[in-house]
Amino acid sequence: MTALNVTEQGLHYLMLCLELYMGSTAFLLLYLFALAFLCVKGSRKERRIFLPVSIFLLLMVYNPVAPVLLMRFFDVNSEYYRFFWITPVVILVPYAAVRVFGLPKEAGKKAVVLAMLVLLFILSGNFLYEGGYKRAENVYKMPPELMEVSALIHADADEEYPKAFLEYEYNMQMRQYDPKILLTIDREEYLYATSMNYTEEMIHDSEHPQYRILAALIKYQGVETDEFLSALEQTHTEYVVLSKANPMIAFLKEAGLHEVAQTAERSIYKYDLKEPYVFELVDYTPVY
Amino acid sequence: MQIPVIVLGVIVNFIIYLSFGSFLTRKKGEQLQPLFAVIIGFFAYYSLFFFVCIPFMKLYRPLSYLTRVWVPVVALIVILAAVFHAKSWFDAAKRIFGKVREHPVLFLLLVVIVSLQIFIVTTSYNFTLDASYYVAGVATNVETNMINVYDPFTGAWQDHFEMRYFFATYPVSDAVVCQLTGIPALIQTKSIMAATVIIQTNLVYFLIAKLLFEGKGREQVLMLGFMFLMNLMFITIYTPSLFLFTRTYEGKAIVGNLSVMTVFYLFLLAVKEKKSRLYWLLLFLVCFGSTTVSSTANMLIPAEVSVLYLPHIVMTKRYRDLIPYAVCILPGILLALAFVAYVKGYFVFYTYPVW
Repeated sequence: MTALNVTEQGLHYLMLCLELYMGSTAFLLLYLFALAFLCVKGSRKERRIFLPVSIFLLLMVYNPVAPVLLMRFFDVNSEYYRFFWITPVVILVPYAAVRVFGLPKEAGKKAVVLAMLVLLFILSGNFLYEGGYKRAENVYKMPPELMEVSALIHADADEEYPKAFLEYEYNMQMRQYDPKILLTIDREEYLYATSMNYTEEMIHDSEHPQYRILAALIKYQGVETDEFLSALEQTHTEYVVLSKANPMIAFLKEAGLHEVAQTAERSIYKYDLKEPYVFELVDYTPVY
Repeated sequence: MQIPVIVLGVIVNFIIYLSFGSFLTRKKGEQLQPLFAVIIGFFAYYSLFFFVCIPFMKLYRPLSYLTRVWVPVVALIVILAAVFHAKSWFDAAKRIFGKVREHPVLFLLLVVIVSLQIFIVTTSYNFTLDASYYVAGVATNVETNMINVYDPFTGAWQDHFEMRYFFATYPVSDAVVCQLTGIPALIQTKSIMAATVIIQTNLVYFLIAKLLFEGKGREQVLMLGFMFLMNLMFITIYTPSLFLFTRTYEGKAIVGNLSVMTVFYLFLLAVKEKKSRLYWLLLFLVCFGSTTVSSTANMLIPAEVSVLYLPHIVMTKRYRDLIPYAVCILPGILLALAFVAYVKGYFVFYTYPVW
């Protein structure tokens, strides 16, 4: 929840956080109904289990003051929602549903109640695969093309650990599959690039040459060819992998990079480093 | 070819957890509760792994050194468990088969509910950002034969350990398994451990349903069915249900589902019967074990234990339980404070000797 800030939102933070957490689901409301049901129809034991817990949750977690107080000691801005996880929603709501199912004695009525409960659950939430179920194409759960890109880079590279610039999704996935490929851009830098533009000052920042690469290839901002090439040199980036639809492919060619391989949807370009870079694992043997 | 490897990996996991759990949960003269033993065994395994792993990591020893020490430890515990608990395992298996014969339809329904979930997590494709740290971290540790010394995102050497993840040694255990067996990190994390966690979570669900509907098999299975349906529907990017199905390989998915549910189950036991010393030991193990799985547990689990046990202690007027309660929440709080101290610059663990 990076959009929320306890210091800025103060006592409103909790409500905003809760709204984001629940989205359009109604299970917290069902939790309250289930609690009310147990208060009326439940046994003493049931009330002893669920009621004090819920009251304490209200005081400790669902209290608007709680995140403000906690913020004095810990940075809970983006993670306060995890405290909602301790609400026994996944226990109480199904439990109450089964109790409601048990109320009618006749089989016909039970079937109707069961159907209504199932419908209630379905209508109260968002289905996990609302956007469609995507089956993994292989046991690695990686796009086959990414695996092909990895093989092609190694086939071309002289070094054991080649360094590459990849587009967002491949950048986040490549090292899960192939840790021998080093990446130019780390996660935070990429996350910045997906939402923000680079200022002139950032583009010319000699300390962070990766900004220039991201500005040119992801944000399509104007970057001088020389500056782009010096960024590749500084970061030891030998390979640039772009989708064929990326409009910056012409820019890469103009800059002097040459295509060494391609897959169905991606092209792999190579930059010949002026000073070849050999990445070696640190030798720790002198330490022990 | 990989499917038998995945199935075997899951089975081996459960044998290990059962071995660890058998020592801790079986009281003298009482029957072994195998499901409970498997759950406790999971947390015991990662708690013990933590103590073995941390010195190797802190002293920048290779991953292979850790593997060479940890594998015999686990093998010894499994062998000892087989020697001391084989009869109780056999008896437990007989009891389970007896119940299956008694209620074949209910058992079949249970199998269908759990199998569907395993199918979902092991066959679906999900692009999640955090895998670029957790899964790549396992792959990086195996590739470099070091423990958390290289940056999983880029592969670059780091001059200090990232303290957010330092004490959460769960992924290092995956790296040990990958190094030992040659199983790729992606299969170990996203299939073997994902299936393991799904089964474990459903076992806790079942134990909870069993306690809430004692002796009512149909209601227990129905509750499990509703829990499954709810997890399928309780979906926003923040809910534990989403984490369970799409980010099962992550420590925080385990904490948000398995740990939270296990603590609740132990709380239900406390409401039902008087708490023994063993009970508090098991709760402590779950709390501590959770902090070794993910730093998310550092605040979450103490908060849950407080929300559940403080009112219970007040209502039962058993104020002396405040001491074991405090002991249970202590590991999480200490680790959370350690992280704050790191962020404020009070200490740093370098990945090289500083004289």
